[in-house]
Amino acid sequence: MIVTGSTTIQPIAEVAAEEFMATHPGTAILVSGVGSSAGIENVSSGTSDIGTSSRELKDEELDLRLVDTPVAYDAIAVIVNPSNPVDNLSTAEIKAIFQGKIINWSEVGGPDMEIGIVNRDEASGTREAFSKIVLDKERFDPRAVILPGTGQVRSVVAQAPGAIGYISLGFVTPEVKTVAVDGVVPEEPTVVSGAYPIQRVLHFFTAEEPAGLVKEYVDFVLSPDIQETVVRDAGFIPITAKERFSE
Amino acid sequence: MNEPIRDKESGLSNAERAPKLKLVSQSTYLKEAALKNLFLVCACVAVAGVALIFVFVGWRGWPVFSEIGVGKFLLGKEWLPTEQLFGILPLFVGSLVVTIGALALGTPLAVGTAVFLSEIASHRVRAIVRPAVELLAGVPSVIYGFFGLLVLRPIIAKLTGSLGFGPLTAWIVLAIMIVPTIATLTEDALRSLPPGIREASYAMGATTWQTISRVLLPAAKIGIVDAIILGMGRAIGETMAVLMVVGNAPVFFHGLGQPISTLTSQIVMDMPYAAGMHRTALFGMAIILFLVSMGLVGIVRFIQRLREEQ
Repeated sequence: MIVTGSTTIQPIAEVAAEEFMATHPGTAILVSGVGSSAGIENVSSGTSDIGTSSRELKDEELDLRLVDTPVAYDAIAVIVNPSNPVDNLSTAEIKAIFQGKIINWSEVGGPDMEIGIVNRDEASGTREAFSKIVLDKERFDPRAVILPGTGQVRSVVAQAPGAIGYISLGFVTPEVKTVAVDGVVPEEPTVVSGAYPIQRVLHFFTAEEPAGLVKEYVDFVLSPDIQETVVRDAGFIPITAKERFSE
Repeated sequence: MNEPIRDKESGLSNAERAPKLKLVSQSTYLKEAALKNLFLVCACVAVAGVALIFVFVGWRGWPVFSEIGVGKFLLGKEWLPTEQLFGILPLFVGSLVVTIGALALGTPLAVGTAVFLSEIASHRVRAIVRPAVELLAGVPSVIYGFFGLLVLRPIIAKLTGSLGFGPLTAWIVLAIMIVPTIATLTEDALRSLPPGIREASYAMGATTWQTISRVLLPAAKIGIVDAIILGMGRAIGETMAVLMVVGNAPVFFHGLGQPISTLTSQIVMDMPYAAGMHRTALFGMAIILFLVSMGLVGIVRFIQRLREEQ
């Protein structure tokens, strides 16, 4: 069985595949990260059994009549130093900050302090999502510090009073402070309800209703075993959280 | 000096003489011949390694010059791979800024250390200081990077009011890293001076400082320049430690505490995901780095020739 698509979903799909093959001897699952668009293309042309995607289908892709199985939420928290009194920023303010148009915290109700942007490298799926959702794919401030890992972004923001950065919600620790976006605090319930704006749903697309081995694998990914361990370890929120909060 | 030692009577080098000695048994002769060839192979592997890397990098990077154009690549002011803009001028300037600053800070420190070791330190002090300096050369660069990131960066951040990523932090980290290179070579240069000039200076009544500043340092000038250029090679090629503290923003230098990027750190940042022309551009940057270090080695060879002629 072949699973191709989003590099963001790669860690989930791959670890799940390894564990699936270990518990189901004789099965072979090949996972490769080629990008969401290629994954959708592959599953519709039949070269892959599952196409993974970190974006929704585009209008022209709706005609492909793919079956959508959401597997996880990817929410991105905007983080600041705990000493920073700013609690809430609008999406427009965050965009202006990361584009270098707002350069002092006093412009957004904070103290007179220079804003230090901490950005991620272009290989990062988090950066890609943040750029798409918050910046409408416009340019980041090119003068911003670029760090190659979530851990580094978090530790710099934890140390520097004027810093602002973004990381997957699952990697937030008490050493940094999350800000509410448009008045919505990033938490599992607000993500699952769709109220928190900086988030996306990670999908498995199949050509038809999953059956046979494909269904077994998809069910395995949706099982609490994978959702509560592999999905959370990758910094995402389990899709199964939806049932818990909607009850 | 490179001439092999020759026998006074026959005018033959030791190597040429060896097979003619009747006293040497056949098996010893074979062993000698085998060893000689073994060392030849060792030398060839090194040469072949350099040649292969050059051919590979050149082959992979060449299209950037033919397809993007030399001008757009070397003089382009914007590095935005997602928008197909591959101008490396800010990165090249970044490499220069980082290297020159590191040399400006590191050279006095290293030359001072060398003077201390060769002229001032007592035997016992030297036995402690010299291994410590040599140990600096053995510390992995990622450790320097961590030191810069966790210890220096917060201090620089307080001083400059920024996040502390940028040239100043990189300068300090690199300055410490190049001290062993420059210090050991400078010490060698000072030690290889004929003892007579030192004695003559003291005999004229010159003080230690006068002897060092007016006699020894000028006499060892070429050796010190040689040491600085090798230190420069180390600084311009350093990647990991720089990547961790420089901020990696591909823009022109605009402040001591403001992030910039260098050729080497940008290659490492981009390599994991670069594809197509982006990847080719990274190899193009490698060609530039290769040419720069070839130039530095050329200068060192030239200086060594000057020194031999002296």
